[in-house]
Amino acid sequence: MKKKQTVAEEPGEAPVKAKRSKPEEAEGEGVVYHPVKLSRSDLYRPPSADELNQLKEAESLFHCSLLKMQVRPLTFLTSAHVNNNNNKLSHIKVPFLLVPKTTKGKFHMAPPASIDLVGSYPLGTCIKPRITVDLAVTIPADVLHPKDVLNQRYPRKRALYLAGLAQHLASSSDIGTMRYSCLHGNRLRPVLLLTPPCKDSSSFTLRVHACPPPGFFKPSRFHPQRNNIRTDWYTGSQTPLSDHRNSFADGVALLKVWLRQRELDQGTGGFNGFLASMLLTYLLITHRISNTMTAYQLLRNSLNFLASTDLTVNGISLARDPDSTAPSLADFHNAFQVVFVDPSGHLNMCADMTACTYKQLQAEASLSMQFWDDPTVDGFHGLLMTPKPMIRTSDHVFQLCELVKLQSSCKKLNLLSELMDHSGNYVHTALPFILSLLQRGLGERIHLLTHSLSPEPESDAPKHKAQPPLSFGLLLNPELATSVLERGPSADSPKAAEFRQLWGSRSELRRFQDSAITEAVLWEGKSMCQKQLVPKQIITHLLQLHADIPESSVRYVGAMVDDVIKTGSEPSTGEEESLLVVQSYDDLSRKLWRLEDLPLSITAVQGAHPALRYTQVFPPRPLKMDYSFFDRDKPSRSLVPKEGKPCPAYITPITVICHMEGSGKWPHDRLAIRHIRAAFHIRLGELLKKHHNYTCRPGPTHLDVWKDGLVFRIQVAYHREPQVLRESVTAEGLQVVRDNEEAQALEMATIHKPLLTSTLHGLQQQHPCFGAACRLAKRWLGAQLFSDDITEDTADLLVASVFLQPAPFTPPGSPQVGFLRFLHLLSSFDWRNNPLVVNLNNQLTAADYTEIKNDFMASRESLPVMFIATPKEKKLSIWTKKAPSVQILQRVVMLAAESLKVLEQQLMDGGQIQDVVMRPPLDAYDVLIHLNVKQVPLLSQAVDPPTVTFGRGVMAGSVTQAGGALPVIDYNPVALYLAELRESFGDLALFFCDPYGGTVIAVLWKPKAFIPTPFKTSQMTARSVEVTGEQVNAIPNVEAILEDFRIMGQGLVKSVEARTEKWSF
Amino acid sequence: MAPSKKKHASNQPCVIPGGFTVLSLQFGSDSVAQHQLYVKEHKVRAEKCSHRPLDRTLFVLNIPPYCPEGVVKDLFSQFGSVQLVELRDHPGSFQESGPKLSRFFKPAAKQGFKVGYIVFHNSSSIKAAKSHPHDVPLVVSTEQRPVRTGVQKWIQAYTESFIQPDKLQQIVDSFMEDYDKRKEEEAEKQKEEAEQQQEDEEGWVKVTRGPKGTKARPHSEAANKKALQKEIRKKKRKELLNFYTWQHRNTQKEHIAELRKKFEEDKQRIALLRAQRKFKPY
Repeated sequence: MKKKQTVAEEPGEAPVKAKRSKPEEAEGEGVVYHPVKLSRSDLYRPPSADELNQLKEAESLFHCSLLKMQVRPLTFLTSAHVNNNNNKLSHIKVPFLLVPKTTKGKFHMAPPASIDLVGSYPLGTCIKPRITVDLAVTIPADVLHPKDVLNQRYPRKRALYLAGLAQHLASSSDIGTMRYSCLHGNRLRPVLLLTPPCKDSSSFTLRVHACPPPGFFKPSRFHPQRNNIRTDWYTGSQTPLSDHRNSFADGVALLKVWLRQRELDQGTGGFNGFLASMLLTYLLITHRISNTMTAYQLLRNSLNFLASTDLTVNGISLARDPDSTAPSLADFHNAFQVVFVDPSGHLNMCADMTACTYKQLQAEASLSMQFWDDPTVDGFHGLLMTPKPMIRTSDHVFQLCELVKLQSSCKKLNLLSELMDHSGNYVHTALPFILSLLQRGLGERIHLLTHSLSPEPESDAPKHKAQPPLSFGLLLNPELATSVLERGPSADSPKAAEFRQLWGSRSELRRFQDSAITEAVLWEGKSMCQKQLVPKQIITHLLQLHADIPESSVRYVGAMVDDVIKTGSEPSTGEEESLLVVQSYDDLSRKLWRLEDLPLSITAVQGAHPALRYTQVFPPRPLKMDYSFFDRDKPSRSLVPKEGKPCPAYITPITVICHMEGSGKWPHDRLAIRHIRAAFHIRLGELLKKHHNYTCRPGPTHLDVWKDGLVFRIQVAYHREPQVLRESVTAEGLQVVRDNEEAQALEMATIHKPLLTSTLHGLQQQHPCFGAACRLAKRWLGAQLFSDDITEDTADLLVASVFLQPAPFTPPGSPQVGFLRFLHLLSSFDWRNNPLVVNLNNQLTAADYTEIKNDFMASRESLPVMFIATPKEKKLSIWTKKAPSVQILQRVVMLAAESLKVLEQQLMDGGQIQDVVMRPPLDAYDVLIHLNVKQVPLLSQAVDPPTVTFGRGVMAGSVTQAGGALPVIDYNPVALYLAELRESFGDLALFFCDPYGGTVIAVLWKPKAFIPTPFKTSQMTARSVEVTGEQVNAIPNVEAILEDFRIMGQGLVKSVEARTEKWSF
Repeated sequence: MAPSKKKHASNQPCVIPGGFTVLSLQFGSDSVAQHQLYVKEHKVRAEKCSHRPLDRTLFVLNIPPYCPEGVVKDLFSQFGSVQLVELRDHPGSFQESGPKLSRFFKPAAKQGFKVGYIVFHNSSSIKAAKSHPHDVPLVVSTEQRPVRTGVQKWIQAYTESFIQPDKLQQIVDSFMEDYDKRKEEEAEKQKEEAEQQQEDEEGWVKVTRGPKGTKARPHSEAANKKALQKEIRKKKRKELLNFYTWQHRNTQKEHIAELRKKFEEDKQRIALLRAQRKFKPY
């Protein structure tokens, strides 16, 4: 209902009636953008002056009006009746931890002096969901005593008073449920939560605050330097908000949404909704914003203020003329980390906030400003619509599990007085100290340290023990985070003692190459995957040393998903192997350039393989062959797989494109060019053999070179060949140029792939964890059997977009977070209505973006379902042209969303990680073909490590750099079998397989294939006929097909499991 | 399941409406399931091609992927001696292939079910094939003639993909020689044509029928387009813009129409976003 209303209020009420009804009828899932068609009469009517103005402004207002319309559905002015609340609580408990047990004072119950509606609800600034209505109940003056400020007597009385209220209300039938909670997680400030019994209005809760009568306590008693216990801000602050215009409320609501998406507004020490409105009030008072501004401008200004003002150093105050007894800002700074003083001048509203939380707020604000100003980013979406949970935001996350241990930390850190301040809440007491300790220890390695805000518990009575673990997030600095050396001051400098104090026994004197002798700490880590976890070593060491927190209660979530791309006996996630391949390729490239005696010179050598851009899931390893395992083909010096033996180790040929100079000598004929290329392959092979003794095998399409235990596949390319392929001569002798698949495939192989490879290679240099994130993503796609639909190149581009357009995040700093964001991108991107623009090398301008979008909208129907545009290729999305199909994409999106949910939960909640997301659900498929593991060459890469291993003709030992017989190259029975199946039965079924050691091929019948069709000579493949009278119908011959599965995969297929119970023809 | 209708008595051929005879085929003697081949004499209204003589050619549908030409030839030899087997992905007329290619340069053949044109030496063989009883299956792989599939086949294919560099060089050389010869011949022909177009010493030009000479019109589509565009540009240059009042008015009208269209598009975009409930942040 709300929705219709706002549609009617839409700002752009141009007099044009053309398509008014469309938006309404288009509601729901399947809405699609249709190009606008206006009739001639509509387009060419004489314009009114009003309309002219509106039209001119349309472009500039677009963003604004979008926001304005967005605000409406967000701000929710509930129409529920407030007076119809009351409730039950079976046994009344006092919502307070009575430590120590007794204190002086008297207490009796009396009806409240007054009840007021306070907070965001009467101001119209509260937002969905979880609406709370705040009721301030004033405790009558005769219950309290002026000396109650001492020794927590007032908070105790307040708790008792609430208990009394609860007891009274329990008898009322108008209340659904009743619980205690505490304001902002501070147990000194209990509140009573009431929900009405009726279901429809269960979306809101009533929060009852008890407060003393105005002016009862002297504000000066709560000076931060006095040994008192601070009171609640609710005592004094009735804000000057009341008569602001609507846009102010909208601004507050927007800011609250912004905070909520960043998980900053809930829990203890958060920047809650109240602070948000206070901040806007402050800006209004100081004339940084005005009442005439739109909500959009209000949000912008407040973010700008947050980004540029450091409240941990320069606090702000709402008090206009503080009385003389009020403490100064400096006093506040001494007592609190973040300072924002309320109108009374006596209360710091940010008292519970840690400096880290404020820094996070600041970082978020400046990040938001950054991408708001970037015209190529959909600022609105990133700003307000995308949630930023910690696990997806921070590069590494760790949790303190047993919070009870913090008790001993308080002792160790000598925090008894602070503990008293927090009435024994050791978590809040120890937190700031732990944070500053970690900040010091991690130093330059991190950009930001954040921590979760412990939620406000809702229970009958508060307890300390049942607290969820405290989570910390690290935003890493990729250049420094992985360094194993912590170099300190020189031994004789005065800072050395401080350094030794921080690091304890780990600090050692070391002599460096520049002959300086300094204090230093050396962390363990040889391979990249170990170095990734240096921050973990630091954190566990520091916590153990200074806070008595054992390693066992620190749960570090940094590289937990990386296991699936680990191979070999040494722990490594493939960075080192990739580097080795790239080095070997560089060497080959140099040698190719230096070759002489070629008829034409080489103009470019380009890699065109994922291994050459660090994104091959399992990078090729240098191998040494065991000749006795193979048959030999003497004349070509090649090994051949032996029948009866297990399939030999799979050797990936690494594609290298070698462009030859253009010349008049090249023939202008497709076949002739092919032959000339073959001649070049032969010549190159001869020269490489002669000069460098590499074993080579030339062929018509490529030249295989055996080098450093790797195989490079060199393909000679001639830049005019695609053009020649496109030309043809019609019967009339007219020469025409027609695009065709052959030419496209050739361009893909010789132009687009090499370019992508070099571009992504560059991206890897900027973001060291790009490759690993890609590999995780592709491993997941493989495990979910989507490798053939979302190709390697497509997956790499998707991950690249996560790194290039990270808004609202920062670029991923660990493979894990990169992988999570990849899943999020896959599952949340609106593929139907938007092109994904991957701005490689930052070549696209804002104008290009608009152009791409307009082209996309204009011909959506004819474009691939998953549309990816790159700077070199803006219109066609060549990478996704063939696959995925609509159905597959839907399934990918669904599985990505599901995997993301499960994985994030596992990562945050502990328990056994991974594997669930790497195991495909097989119950959806019609036939499973189980393979003989002996013939699956990549078995060792499987998610579940195989129980049996086979000799695959590989020997241990150092690899020969040149010479030797050529190994078995690119021979993978599984891939050959799949290709054969698809060619034979592609029109009847889909075939899925995990390319990384999958031992099952899953088959899905196409539903259309089983509809009986009339006999047609062109569609009789694998079909049998049914004759009824003169009618001949063809249906698939399933029995024979299943038999064919077995026959065609003889030696490879173990069994064919037909799940006939699933079929319905 | 294989022969779908058992209405024919055994030892009888099974003919379905449309004139096709159903033959059954199984891989080995112990196979449990059978494929059905559909055979018929090759009949086309107008095919001049001498490769498929109408009276001696049998048209076969649904040949499984593990039956290459040699196997098919053997299978059908029981009906009479086979002259030629042609396997195709789809039924269609015979296509003249270009210059002869070595097998290494041919594009990889698609594996899969094929249609076949089998040319017998004798036309009586067709009748024999068509009257073959459907419950006596043809067997692909027998002890005398084992057919390799699966791992065996892949290893064999891998071995066969090797080629000696000198042999490859030889193939390339011979092809290029051939190619050069063809090019030369073509050039010769063109030269002759051009000569014929020229005046002889007495000033006569010989006019002939058939394809016109090279000079007559642009030789490629691209050139055609270029000429057309040149023409359009020329026309445009001559035109005056905003010269008359009505022209000016029209331009303004167009501009407003453009703005309107854009506005409508924007509005629709918003409506679309709204409809997708994109405004729900959580």
